[in-house]
Amino acid sequence: MDNSLFQFAIYDESKAERTGYSNYSYWRSTVQVFMKNKVAVFLLFLMIAVLAFTMIQPYLPGQKSPTKIHIDEATNMQLRNHPPDSKFWFGTNSIGQDLWSRIWSGTRTSLLIGFFVGLWEAIIGIIVGALWGYVRRLESIITEIYNVLNNIPTTIVLILLTYIMKPSVFTMIFAMCMTGWLNMARFVRNLIVIIRDREYNLASRCLGTPTNRIITKNLLPYLVSVIMLRMALAIPAAIGYEVFLTYIGLGLPVSIPSLGNLINEGRRVMGVPSLRYQLIFPAVVLSIITISFYVIGNVFADASDPRNHV
Amino acid sequence: MKRLVALTMALLIIITGCSSGGKKTSGDNVAAIQEYRTAYSGEITTLNYLVTATTNEFAMAANLVDTLIDYDRYGVVQPGLATEWSLSDDNLVWTFKLREGVKWLTHDGEEYAEVTAQDFVDAMKYILNPANESKTANIAYSVIKNAEEYYNGEITDFEQVGVKALDKYTLEYTLKNPTPYFLSMLTYVCFFPVNGQFLEEAGDRFGTDNINFLYNGAYIMETFEPQNRRVLVANENYWDKENIHITKLTYIYNKEAGTLAPELFLRKEIDYADIPSDILDEWMNDPEKETQIRPNRTSFYSYFYCLNFDPQFPEEYEPGNWKIVVNNKNFRKSLFHALDRKAAMLTAEPYDPEKRISNTVTPKNFVDLEGVDYTQLGSLAELSNNDSFNEKLALEYKENALAELEGKATFPVKVLMPYNTGSSEWANRAQVVEQQMENLLGTDYIDIIIDPKPPTGFLQEVRRSGNYAFLECNWGPDYADPETYTDPFSPDGTYNWPHLAEGYKESNGKNTYENMVNGAKAEVVDIEKRYNLFAEAEAFLIGEAFIIPYAVGGGGYSASRLNPFESLYSPFGVSAERFKGQKVMEKPMNSEEFTEALEKWEKERAEALKKATK
Amino acid sequence: MLKYSFKRLFQSLITLFIVITVVFLLMRLMPEEGYFGDGYEKLDEAQREAILSSMGLRDPMHIQLKNFYLDLLSGDLGESIIYRAKVPIAQILKTKIPYSVRFGLAAMAISLIFGVSLGITMARSKNQLWDKMGTGYIVFINAVPAAIYYLFLQLYITDILKLPILFNPDRPVSWILPTISMSLGGTASYAMWMRRYMVDELNKDYVKLARAKGLRDKTIMVKHVLRNAFVPMVQYLPTSLLFTISGSIYIESLYSIPGMGGLLVDAIQRQDNTLVQALVLIYSSIGIIGLFLGDILMATLDPRIKLDRKAGAR
Repeated sequence: MDNSLFQFAIYDESKAERTGYSNYSYWRSTVQVFMKNKVAVFLLFLMIAVLAFTMIQPYLPGQKSPTKIHIDEATNMQLRNHPPDSKFWFGTNSIGQDLWSRIWSGTRTSLLIGFFVGLWEAIIGIIVGALWGYVRRLESIITEIYNVLNNIPTTIVLILLTYIMKPSVFTMIFAMCMTGWLNMARFVRNLIVIIRDREYNLASRCLGTPTNRIITKNLLPYLVSVIMLRMALAIPAAIGYEVFLTYIGLGLPVSIPSLGNLINEGRRVMGVPSLRYQLIFPAVVLSIITISFYVIGNVFADASDPRNHV
Repeated sequence: MKRLVALTMALLIIITGCSSGGKKTSGDNVAAIQEYRTAYSGEITTLNYLVTATTNEFAMAANLVDTLIDYDRYGVVQPGLATEWSLSDDNLVWTFKLREGVKWLTHDGEEYAEVTAQDFVDAMKYILNPANESKTANIAYSVIKNAEEYYNGEITDFEQVGVKALDKYTLEYTLKNPTPYFLSMLTYVCFFPVNGQFLEEAGDRFGTDNINFLYNGAYIMETFEPQNRRVLVANENYWDKENIHITKLTYIYNKEAGTLAPELFLRKEIDYADIPSDILDEWMNDPEKETQIRPNRTSFYSYFYCLNFDPQFPEEYEPGNWKIVVNNKNFRKSLFHALDRKAAMLTAEPYDPEKRISNTVTPKNFVDLEGVDYTQLGSLAELSNNDSFNEKLALEYKENALAELEGKATFPVKVLMPYNTGSSEWANRAQVVEQQMENLLGTDYIDIIIDPKPPTGFLQEVRRSGNYAFLECNWGPDYADPETYTDPFSPDGTYNWPHLAEGYKESNGKNTYENMVNGAKAEVVDIEKRYNLFAEAEAFLIGEAFIIPYAVGGGGYSASRLNPFESLYSPFGVSAERFKGQKVMEKPMNSEEFTEALEKWEKERAEALKKATK
Repeated sequence: MLKYSFKRLFQSLITLFIVITVVFLLMRLMPEEGYFGDGYEKLDEAQREAILSSMGLRDPMHIQLKNFYLDLLSGDLGESIIYRAKVPIAQILKTKIPYSVRFGLAAMAISLIFGVSLGITMARSKNQLWDKMGTGYIVFINAVPAAIYYLFLQLYITDILKLPILFNPDRPVSWILPTISMSLGGTASYAMWMRRYMVDELNKDYVKLARAKGLRDKTIMVKHVLRNAFVPMVQYLPTSLLFTISGSIYIESLYSIPGMGGLLVDAIQRQDNTLVQALVLIYSSIGIIGLFLGDILMATLDPRIKLDRKAGAR
């Protein structure tokens, strides 16, 4: 036995502390679980690539303006419905505008609308929904406000707003924000009503935990996965809503390209095989965005459930 | 040659057709079953023809109720409910002798009463009551004596209004002023008859459905299911039954008719479909489908670009500067010659855009002098036979304008051009026009600013309040006389106020154009002189480039089993909506047949009109 | 519970009052041009005034409001002023509602049955074949705008199966495609949420306990998981059920179904004030009742949810 092989362990308080320490971090674990899903990661990168491309596309060399009308050299008239080729990658529309640049410009517009409306919906919707569901004193008043706002037809609001403010991207965002958060609020509220009287919340209340702490620490974490999914759908939903508004004639004018009016224009030539590219290209871009958000949202929701960690 | 082809075709059809159920087809392309089905996307709001002013609504009434006079397929006046008529020497009193024995029928074909002169008086009384919300009352009281006073409540005794039933079959209209075009107004809804007793019984319900309605026309509405379908069947007791060939008309509602109707036509579920310009390429390039479509005839709606002489738009678009340049003839002319109307028209009419382009405000074939078309009179002829688009002239005028306006106006001139976002065609056109004119004239000369405006309140917000510099406008006629196309440009019009143009004042304080129009309006007896004076006035309006004529309405392409040249022809009123004289064809007309038929029709029409004036 | 219900219903009356008053006033903000449609241009000033005053739009606002409330109290929805001039609104709705309700209920039944079973199947076989196929379907429905796949189905399925393109009340075969098309979206959304809630429930400790107790998988699913997972969805059921009367704007336009879909949008765009007010009144009533019934249903299904307990209120 060689004593030199041993040495006394000195009591170290910090090390003693560490035995009870785990390097578990909620968000890191969530990310780790998320990263395990190859499809989701791929879509995430695709999504980022699409987003980045929409941003930088106008600054790339050789890009055409989305509103410039191209003239056919031979006839000296607009280059109408020119099928996709090396010069016009996605072809031209019925007045000779380059669809490639229109689609990216439209994606930019629609994502902008979707992003702001989705963000607004998430923030206001969750806050109002949480208060509505948990704070009983506010319940009747918020129910009232919800019922009033939810039952005034959006069409009236939109028509009046475009009448007062003129059709523009800002008007669209403004009008859609006005009522967009209602569904989210109701959704969050329903979930909170379900769990607000569970025993652990009762206990918290008995211990005098303040309301905002109960909401943020007891209730919302419970709902993270569903809220995540819901938020992931908010942006595509906003874009889909824009498509619908264009369908009923309240969307953006075609001189401001957006996915909504590009798809609506394309829909009219759906029966014509040779022109179907005008529908397919914008629809594919829209689908990529929606699918990515949906799958990412779902996988992230799975990952955000701590019981799926370890 | 064509006829030979048609004959062989017909023979082929007979031979092959025999095996498929023994349908008989005659050599002149007439379908065995004379029933006509169509899809429509705009539902009518009422059948009350005394109230409406909407085309698809009075198009229904046109086939259900007859009028005093009618037109034939060349536009020559024919007797209708009136068999003969006369005009007093002072050109004020018109007397009509009614056809005897014409009956009012209920929706199930039962006889209700006879059509009498009093029916026309009762209709007028209803229209002139403001509480009935008639939208055509102003047309009636613009000509009938004391009618406007009655409408406004200045006269309460209807006896004083210029419409009287002298006896059961004699009707008399007394006019405010001699009106050479009065006869043409009689086919409009405000001169329709109505049975007074029935009207009173039905009250507010009159015209709300097919039951609260009386029929004396060619068809009776059997089924009326809004947002679903309507069915009209031929009236067995119609006085002119021999000329009604189609026995049943079915209208099928579809909100998406624009998209679905072509498909429905191909599947033989309907007999008429408009082919929207979006899908026209496909139909044109498919040999099978190509033979089934033909152009539509153009309408009498006139489209023109207005230059605003009373700019009221916001300061940021420099209305003051616009006011200076618009009063310079060279500047106006440079725009006049720079607008490539064919390029603009491609947004609406990608095939054969020329057929809709118009060089005058009054469309071709509207009125004529013994077979000579109005647009070929006097100095209007030169304008109407030449395209206004001329790059060389445009640039010449631009140089002149630049020289004259140097130091007075700032360049580039901001040209505010709003458009209605409710129409994607218009939105496209605005972009085309902007880029085409800027390319030609240079962005250092003009800067066209396209401004999207919502359809809500568009006219009030934009045109009527002068909130534009350069705008596409339109106007439809109210009666068959060139006077109707001068209304937008009169001082109380709401288009572009050409009476404010500087440099045209005459000794009486009015502008040249206004004086020319007033001179023409005053000529009510000598029609030749009247038309010539109007033609000169219009030539002046266009020549001075107060406006730029652009197009006529209608047009487009359709797949149809009707022959458009069989239908009654009138530039105004309901005659053209009638199915009288029309037959359902076995095989739809194609473009070549259409062009050929159009040429033939124009030739025959000139002769028919010449004969009629003799 | 009863007291709570009465309180909420009473409160709903106030909400209704506010909604219809606001809508009433908003409609009065629309430009006057809109009341005339395309005809505006050809009318002179005297006529416009005559027509507007005959529509009752020239009365002072408080008189208009008073008349509106008085009519309403006597159960009279009024007459349409533009959409179908002079026709009582009750009569217009009477012919339209049955169409929408029939299609709506059928579509809802289909999507509930298929959607919920699909969702359950997906949750049980998470990340396996069924889950992937279901996800594919859900993704497709969400990604492709309804306006496109509806039209696609209509044009091509009818061609392949030789079905009539348009709805025809006398031919039941023409009812199939609209109903199925209408249920596609609902199926996807029920499946999506059912799967989500089930997956969340399945991770909970009581499921583990139940398994440990040796309960059969089926019993766990039906008795425990499904019941809990269904609670958040049940809140929406009464609303969806009641709102079948509003119809589907896309489907009804495409197939020419004379139902309620698009009626409100149409009425607003044509500025048929009385029709808009009547529709808003109906829709907001059912919206409010739907929310209320949803709460009651939720509380019934999950007794832990207390709606009316005052204790512990914040």
